[in-house]
Amino acid sequence: MAWDLIFWVLCFFINIALLASSFYQLLSLSDLEADHLNPFEATTRINSIVLPDFLLQAFLCLSFLLTWHWFMFLFTLPITAYHLMLYLNRKHLLDVTEIFRDLNTEKKYRFVKLAVYLLLFTVVLFRLLSASIFFFFAWKFEELDIRTSLFY
Amino acid sequence: MGTENPGRPNFPMRPSFTPFASAPPTVRPFSPHGPATGPESSNFRPSPPARFSDPSVPSPPITSVPPSGVPYQRFPTPPFPSAAQAPPNRAPPVGQPPFQPPASQVSVPPPSFRPQTQALPVPMGSPPQNANFPPSSMNAPQPPTDSSLSGIRPNFQQPFPGYPSKQPAGSYGPPPSVAANLGYQSRDQMQHPGSAPPIGGVQRLTEDFSSLAVASIPGTNDPALDNRSLPRPLDGDVVPSSFLEMYPMNCDPRYLRLTTNAIPNSQSLVSRWHLPLGAVVCPLAEAPEGEEVPAINFSSTGIIRCRRCRTYVNPYVTFTDAGRKWRCNICSFLNDVPGEYFANLDATGRRIDLDQRPELIKGSVEFVAPTEYMVRPPMPPLYFFLIDVSISAVRSGMIESSLTQPQMMVVSDLDDIFVPLPDDLLVNLSESKNVVETFLDSLPSMFQDNVNVESAFGPALKAAFMVMSQLGGKLLIFQNSLPSLGVGRLKLRGDDLRVYGTDKEHILRLPEDPFYKQMAADLTKYQIGVNIYAFSDKYTDIASLGTLAKYTGGQVYYYPSFQSGIHGEKLSHELARDLTRETAWEAVMRIRCGKGIRFTSYHGNFMLRSTDLLALPAVDCDKAYAMQLSLEETLLTTQTVYFQVALLYTASCGERRIRVHTAAAPVVTDLGEMYRQADTGAIVSLFSRLAIEKTLTSKLEDARNSLQLRIVKALREYRNLYSVQHRLGARMIYPESLKFLCLYGLALFKSVPLKGGYADVQLDERCAAGFTMMALPVKKLLKLLYPSLIRIDEYLLKPSAQADGFKNIMKRLPLVAESLDSRGLYIYDDGFRFVIWFGRMVSPDIAKNLLGPDFAAELSRLDIIVGIQHIQDLLQMLAMINVALTEHDNEMSRRLMKILKKLRESDPSYYQLPYLVRQGEQPREGLLLLVNLIEDQMGGTTGYADWITQIQRQVQQN
Repeated sequence: MAWDLIFWVLCFFINIALLASSFYQLLSLSDLEADHLNPFEATTRINSIVLPDFLLQAFLCLSFLLTWHWFMFLFTLPITAYHLMLYLNRKHLLDVTEIFRDLNTEKKYRFVKLAVYLLLFTVVLFRLLSASIFFFFAWKFEELDIRTSLFY
Repeated sequence: MGTENPGRPNFPMRPSFTPFASAPPTVRPFSPHGPATGPESSNFRPSPPARFSDPSVPSPPITSVPPSGVPYQRFPTPPFPSAAQAPPNRAPPVGQPPFQPPASQVSVPPPSFRPQTQALPVPMGSPPQNANFPPSSMNAPQPPTDSSLSGIRPNFQQPFPGYPSKQPAGSYGPPPSVAANLGYQSRDQMQHPGSAPPIGGVQRLTEDFSSLAVASIPGTNDPALDNRSLPRPLDGDVVPSSFLEMYPMNCDPRYLRLTTNAIPNSQSLVSRWHLPLGAVVCPLAEAPEGEEVPAINFSSTGIIRCRRCRTYVNPYVTFTDAGRKWRCNICSFLNDVPGEYFANLDATGRRIDLDQRPELIKGSVEFVAPTEYMVRPPMPPLYFFLIDVSISAVRSGMIESSLTQPQMMVVSDLDDIFVPLPDDLLVNLSESKNVVETFLDSLPSMFQDNVNVESAFGPALKAAFMVMSQLGGKLLIFQNSLPSLGVGRLKLRGDDLRVYGTDKEHILRLPEDPFYKQMAADLTKYQIGVNIYAFSDKYTDIASLGTLAKYTGGQVYYYPSFQSGIHGEKLSHELARDLTRETAWEAVMRIRCGKGIRFTSYHGNFMLRSTDLLALPAVDCDKAYAMQLSLEETLLTTQTVYFQVALLYTASCGERRIRVHTAAAPVVTDLGEMYRQADTGAIVSLFSRLAIEKTLTSKLEDARNSLQLRIVKALREYRNLYSVQHRLGARMIYPESLKFLCLYGLALFKSVPLKGGYADVQLDERCAAGFTMMALPVKKLLKLLYPSLIRIDEYLLKPSAQADGFKNIMKRLPLVAESLDSRGLYIYDDGFRFVIWFGRMVSPDIAKNLLGPDFAAELSRLDIIVGIQHIQDLLQMLAMINVALTEHDNEMSRRLMKILKKLRESDPSYYQLPYLVRQGEQPREGLLLLVNLIEDQMGGTTGYADWITQIQRQVQQN
């Protein structure tokens, strides 16, 4: 019971972190485009959080697998696979010398990621709420035993 | 708009001629099947009003009839309410012979079509030019005139049925006068298959499309393509001049060249112009004596710039309000004129002090920049030498030869040169010249016994970076072996045959270790430019090393298998050039252009600091940058667009300056016009850069194919413009301006960075050539692509030396093996080296005089030379040959040396080392010369005639 709730709370925070990181990267890129940031700084900023971002995402994906949340796992799998591909091809970091040429693709990629994370966020939020409702109110319904019909 | 009017009065005359149209035989002085004459050509500009989509023109029927030539752009007008009248007019002619010339305009006086004064910026809002034109006069005569055209072409209008309605009636406005004017020439496509180009009185009218008969004669297999008739750029690079005449205040084309001097007004037009749309900029190009860029010091007023778009004041700005305001030509913003800069206007609206203001009459000026333009005080120019002292370097003699050079430099560029001492201190050369000289002298001996084969390139680079980061400057790297120690070490990856032809092939042409890109970025950030001098005969991974030069605005010099005896001279000259040429430090460059268009991609050796700012730590006259532009708006409403290149830099004298080049170009609505105003040189330059960039992301073959595809598409589009009213058959047609495009395309295919596959060029050589070509100015690139081949024996044998004879002998020959006569002596010059070819039957006299008696004897014993197979022997042979080519004490030898000197002076950016080759001497002859005869078919590559046939076949496959 409690574990379930803790798990979803954890997922919730990881998800928020991922969202924040994506948003920050996008912001840096648009700053770069608008000339508020020079390419050296922008790439340093973004590249410094790329790997943590990947690791966090991979961790989330893996934990979904281990906790047997099939749907969530499949939902996060494509991004993980894409990250892995980028990493193996050594294309995960921004190239400071050619950044303006890649700017549009990089932005698009991050937009898609942001959208997926947002979707994930709503799902996680829902699961978190349901888990907490179940946790806090379970004793009330214990006798009625309707949880199977409600949450499973 | 003024020039439109002369043509106008002719319209009322049409009715009188129309009867002839129905009775062709009687009018046939201008028969379409006769040679096209001047007046005849004018036939096809029947309906200028159609171009004037000015809504104020109350002439619906006319506008609904597409004029001849290029109908596409004239569509804006049809949807007038009264267009209903048109159909009856159009209907009958459908069946008429398409080639019937509308004889009605025969009388249009051709001279009136010449663009004249309107070349100057036309004030906005010129009055509707049709005011005095009775609409009724246009209606009646029209049907017969245009019928033949409208009948055959309605399908062209289909794609744009709704288009005109998108434009607000007023915004389209009177079309640019210039554009409309140019349009006149475009109309003269009355040339018929087989007819000679019109030789009419008006020269501009002869600017027709050119054509080549490509089809084979039925029943035979011989291609009808005559090898001699193919166009060849034997006059070198010819810059289109009509454009300069039109805008005399533009900067010289050596600074800025547009790929087409007619900017398309809509995106649909851009999409049908399949060639690159952009510009090639060489901001510091060497100006000939007397044409130097004037420097202006605005110390009191500050530099005059537009408040909104930051454009610098230039000849195209207009002063209004009695001289108190000026209007920016790029963004039309009305700026105040500062008090100190004020001058009254004369009656024509020109400033009275115009002749004292070079910035208002010249397209290229230099402003002395005040302190606001400095991030930090100007730094002294700094040269830092990073020298590889591993055993191979010592052995090749590189150290010795390269380091005699800085001593020479001491003489020429005294005060500012810095040279590093081993303890990583920078010294001022003038103060410690002795120390430096002693060091340089001792350097070769210091490492004489070095047996270390490793090269710790990365750490050394980092050390150099740390020393230089305070001042910035130029870092010259002399590298002789593959970096093998410490950070940035590289693997031997170039000899992997299996990778070629796979999807991974391009990776070999990219830097292996991200260290190099990161390092390049850091170097740029601290204003350090890198030049790489690579010497090794073994794989050195130029792809990785060159990255340093690419992103710091530098260049790569590559001397494969360097031997100081042979290449020493070349190295010392090129190093001297590198150190002494006018260099701009800590530079940034930006190119601004009018509203509605934007430069979107940049190609060359630099790093982008922001979306449109090129960071160039060190830039000089041998560097050019290409850029492509795109339309941001669907329709341009202005008549002219302006471009302004601004390079902010520190001159070697320590002054901060801004060099500004301004150019204007007309906006056109006509695709044919774009093609006619195309500049092959700029197009080829952009093409080469795009193709080389493509080799970094895909296979060589893909890069070549995409290049070919674009050429084919462009020619097909052009053909479609004319294929309807002309029976083109199997003829290949192209605009006069693009007549060399196919040849240069072929030359690009055979150029070192793009040709063949694994075996054709060593990877290092390929990469080095790629880096070099990414920076070459247009003229030099064209010379490299189509080198000159000159026969000189006649000149050498001439009894008396004529000074003026020099020009005459500089007659370039086509690059085919047939050009080589075995009794002749030829010089092949591609700007990087000379190959001097001795025919087999060349008189022994010449050989003796030129080479000295010993070597001439050697040369005559051909078998010895043929027997040379081993590379080392070949090199020694080379050395011998080059030593042999020193001046001898006779007239002939002196003359040859004079020729070489002249040729070198005409192209000083590289030192051309002469290579001697004798006819039949294999493999030298093949390697040095025959492979470069690009028009010939050589080992799997196409010859020129075949290439044309191939292109033509693809053009016709729709």
